[in-house]
Amino acid sequence: MNDRQAFEDRVLPHLDAAYNLARWLLRSEQNAEDAVQDAVIRALRYGHALRDGDAKPWLLGIVRNTCFTLLARARNGPDLVEFDDEAFQSQIQQAAPAEHGNPEDVLQRQRTRVRVDAAIRALSPALREVIVLREFEDLAYDDMARIIGIPIGTVMSRLSRARDKLRQALSVDPQGQ
Amino acid sequence: MNPDDQALSRQIKDHGTRYTAPDSLRAGLRAHLALATALRPEPPAPATRWARWRARWAALPQQSAWRHSLAGFAAGALVVGTLLPVVNHLRWDEPQEAELVSNHVRALQIGPLTEVVSTDRHTVKPWFQGKLDYAPPVMDLSPEGFALLGGRIEHLRGNVVATLAYARNRHMIDLYVWPSATKSVQVQATRRGYNVLHWSDGAMQYWAVSDLDRRELEHFTQLWRERVAAQ
Repeated sequence: MNDRQAFEDRVLPHLDAAYNLARWLLRSEQNAEDAVQDAVIRALRYGHALRDGDAKPWLLGIVRNTCFTLLARARNGPDLVEFDDEAFQSQIQQAAPAEHGNPEDVLQRQRTRVRVDAAIRALSPALREVIVLREFEDLAYDDMARIIGIPIGTVMSRLSRARDKLRQALSVDPQGQ
Repeated sequence: MNPDDQALSRQIKDHGTRYTAPDSLRAGLRAHLALATALRPEPPAPATRWARWRARWAALPQQSAWRHSLAGFAAGALVVGTLLPVVNHLRWDEPQEAELVSNHVRALQIGPLTEVVSTDRHTVKPWFQGKLDYAPPVMDLSPEGFALLGGRIEHLRGNVVATLAYARNRHMIDLYVWPSATKSVQVQATRRGYNVLHWSDGAMQYWAVSDLDRRELEHFTQLWRERVAAQ
């Protein structure tokens, strides 16, 4: 019982981070939810591997591997992950918190959000994950390296490639700053 | 970090969507964790065999000579005493093929087949660090047509077992690896249409499970053995 409490206390605070990563990698709400659930259950099984380390990169590593397994399977067989871009677009609109102020500003902010999201979404999963881990989750390079299972140098080079692509995508329309 | 990167970071943080976990997920997980703890199976009582013998003896008719039954009981106890560790040892050392096949099938049906996804053995091997108390060898046999997909950890009979996944065309191969000093006999078996091959090199023991045909699976295990020997 105490084990479980300790597990909940350490792991569940990172559920938003876990979901955000899965949501960006899998692009569907339902698949992301399933993947995170699956990952946390697996985390519980390997809870003993956590010991004293930071639970966040540890959990994100499991989530990340779960997502890539799903993605790999979706490539091999058509039956698992369906990409629903339109639902995604409407999600973006919904996800935007109610904003106050000048309607023109609000519209502009919403446009920017759609553009930034679309640029991230256009990245390959390998580049998308470094952006999500770095920019949304503020993870250190060595944590990212451990999560993805690549050397730190590769993390840096992927990050710089991802940033180049994002800058390129975002600079097409000079309005969207 | 150059100023360009900083501006981009700002833009992503300010304008990108950071999703938050839906309440349904949070609630579902709490319920699952509570249930998982409640349902966690008790470790099996080690005395069942012993108890069965005792019950059998107790069931004997009272008329049978008291001395005989005592002698028989002692003999029985001796047999159990000597056999139990052996049987236990066998059970721990060699999970039956059927269990491995079930595990393999479940990994294919429900997953995950791989918890670390990589064709690079230098990514897969370090992934096991800290998760196991041994370092399983990982071989890349892609030049020979057996592509490394990644690895995962399985729990078999209370042991933590490194599992490597390979693909041969559309066929999946699971290779279960755990330490064992005994050089056991090679085992070949077919369960529910899956081929199981087992060998041991005195440091690790290996179980390969796949729906590949026997000869190809043998080729795979042969390559593995050569690689390990060459190390």
